[in-house]
Amino acid sequence: MNTLVQAIGFGLVSAAIIAVAAVGFTMQFGVTNILNLAYGDVMTASAYIGYLVNNAGLSIAYSLVVGAVVGGALSLALNRYLFRRYIRHGTQLFGMIVVTLSVAVIIQNILLVSFGPSFFVYRIPLGGGIKLGPARFSGVQLVIMAIAVVTMALVHVGLTRTRLGKCMRATACDAVLAQTCGVFTDRVVDAAWLLSGMLCGLAGVVLVLSTTAFQSTTGSEFLILIVAAAMLGGVGQAHGAMIAAVIVGVITSITAAYSNPSYQDIAGFGVLVIVLLWRPRGLFGKVEGERGIP
Amino acid sequence: MASRSPSKADKRPPRTHRRNDVAWRTPTSRSILIAAASAVAALVLAACGSGSAGGGASGKPTGKLTFVTFAPFSGPDAAFGASKVAGIIPAIYAIDHGGGILGDTKVGWMESDSRGDPADAVPIAQKLLLTTPSMVGIIGPTSDESTATVPIFNAAHIPTFALTGQIAFNRNTYPYFWRITPPDNDVGLAMAMYAHARGYTSAAMVFGTDIGATGAVPSLLKAWQHLGGKVVANESLPLDQSSYQSEAAKVAAAHPQVIFFEADAQTSATYLSELNQMHGLVPFIGTDGTTVPSWTGPVAKAVGQATFDKYYVGAQPYAPTSGPSFDAWKAAFNAVRSQEPKPASQWLDSSFAFAGYDGAIIMALAMDAAKSTNTKVFNAFVPKVTSASPGAVKVYSYAAGRRALAQGKQIQYVGATGVIAFDQYHNSPGGFEIINSKFNFITAYTAAQIGALSVASGATNVG
Repeated sequence: MNTLVQAIGFGLVSAAIIAVAAVGFTMQFGVTNILNLAYGDVMTASAYIGYLVNNAGLSIAYSLVVGAVVGGALSLALNRYLFRRYIRHGTQLFGMIVVTLSVAVIIQNILLVSFGPSFFVYRIPLGGGIKLGPARFSGVQLVIMAIAVVTMALVHVGLTRTRLGKCMRATACDAVLAQTCGVFTDRVVDAAWLLSGMLCGLAGVVLVLSTTAFQSTTGSEFLILIVAAAMLGGVGQAHGAMIAAVIVGVITSITAAYSNPSYQDIAGFGVLVIVLLWRPRGLFGKVEGERGIP
Repeated sequence: MASRSPSKADKRPPRTHRRNDVAWRTPTSRSILIAAASAVAALVLAACGSGSAGGGASGKPTGKLTFVTFAPFSGPDAAFGASKVAGIIPAIYAIDHGGGILGDTKVGWMESDSRGDPADAVPIAQKLLLTTPSMVGIIGPTSDESTATVPIFNAAHIPTFALTGQIAFNRNTYPYFWRITPPDNDVGLAMAMYAHARGYTSAAMVFGTDIGATGAVPSLLKAWQHLGGKVVANESLPLDQSSYQSEAAKVAAAHPQVIFFEADAQTSATYLSELNQMHGLVPFIGTDGTTVPSWTGPVAKAVGQATFDKYYVGAQPYAPTSGPSFDAWKAAFNAVRSQEPKPASQWLDSSFAFAGYDGAIIMALAMDAAKSTNTKVFNAFVPKVTSASPGAVKVYSYAAGRRALAQGKQIQYVGATGVIAFDQYHNSPGGFEIINSKFNFITAYTAAQIGALSVASGATNVG
């Protein structure tokens, strides 16, 4: 029983990281219908800038803020000056996937050229574990979970209680109808990229705080897990992504605790496949009509 | 039902080309072209990276003959490439300043990025063969891509001094494949011997799931159990996860006295920092995959330098850091120090750099001995310039070897890696040394000792 409780506790740490990233990803995809494969590399770029801040002697808190700002700015710039141009030229879904993949390769290699192939480590105060029940957590892990909880709460409030959140949900549902109702969808899309980019940047710094060491490929290697959680929760459903992140994190952790850790990804993606067979739109996905790129 | 008159809505023109129109349009050829052009542009940009990222070949301008370092220079194992370059640069200097091949032919080198993935490495290798007619030898490939690319280079009759410990090559049959680094299963034997010598009796085995890390496991297991040791935990770490708490908890619960360990730097930093913070570290012995600054640096930062210094030792191929061979290496290294991957100091006593250096020197001496730069001719002379045949003169540098060959003498090149003795599988087994976190020597095991344990434990039958 202790092992199970421990594994669930450990899974929540992984879930925290996946949740922050997956909510941003699903928000981006939900509002804009662009499957942004550069998401992981924007995470990495934000982590590198956060590292520079930390290496200059500032605390991790500054790195988190700067990482979020960098992620938001980079994502907004990518949409404004690159993706939108392709969309206006008529590039459709598959074409946009190729474009984002190209951007991913470019960002990754810019980071490699700029920083080299070495691994980098944030300056984190090392301490002992803190025991919570049968599980032990490090201070960093508790901070990561706290960041995830606060971020998810803010996202929930933002999406449900603010006008911008309502406009984003309306645009995600039906962009044409939203525009007809007076929503400036261009501005909403910009806001979606900015906010989801900030979540992306924050997730990047949080990820490398957990992995401790990182390099230019760290974020892209994490992307498949992010996409899996976003799909499992339902495209465009931020709350779904949060719950899916917990499911994926806990299942992979339990698998690692009770069997060969090599099976954890099999278990995680196995759940995704089974759920999508049962509910093709994900756990909380809504039935969609035709969706294009707004 | 009466028909209704057309409304204003019916008279509107069809909805086409309006801003924010969400109706699906069939893909136009223009949109496909734009998408394809962006993909090509990205690949070209990636290939133009100065680190040879994207599978391109770059490096210094080549001379008449070219040695190629074929290794990952991008991706998760990008640090491997730097160690190969660190060896070849002094070798090129030694050859060119030792008179040149056949008395006058200078050599150059270039790097070719395999990206550390067989799927990428194969087309890159094929392209390399087509675009580099002056290539006469390869330093590489590494464990990441060797099984996929060694057959390609062998079919093209290009001698390769592979820097892979994969046990698949323990009984190699490729005539152009040469290996002067010990196989992965030998490092496991050295680790078991050291742990036994330290008096440990219970161990955990924690290895990443990549091919380079798992090579040591079978022989380590056999040797450790033969020496009376118990394995109390055996964990495979999937690489680059965000957390390994469950895996760390399992190992901690088994209370091992020592941990046998290898994984890439990111995985290692994550796992060991969590193990340290949750449960405290115990002594851990790393394979030669851990005895590089690109691994020890981030891991030491992750667990704290003092803790790392206290608990870590690593096993790596033994290469003497004194004597005439080392002096020759050191002279060449110091002459080109500014060109070495930074920081240069890490390569001065790196057995990985030694292996690259010796590989190039041996091929150059083989060309001199064969009086030919034709790869099909000089390949057979590789063992002839390194074997201790009767009357052979021991030489420790390219210049000395070339002079002796010019005088009609047989030579035995003793390299920076030590005595090189190829067996029938083109492998030169060597000894191993145990080093601490500062790369200082602790103890060493000879090839004979390792061979004896291999036979006694049955580890010889692995691979």
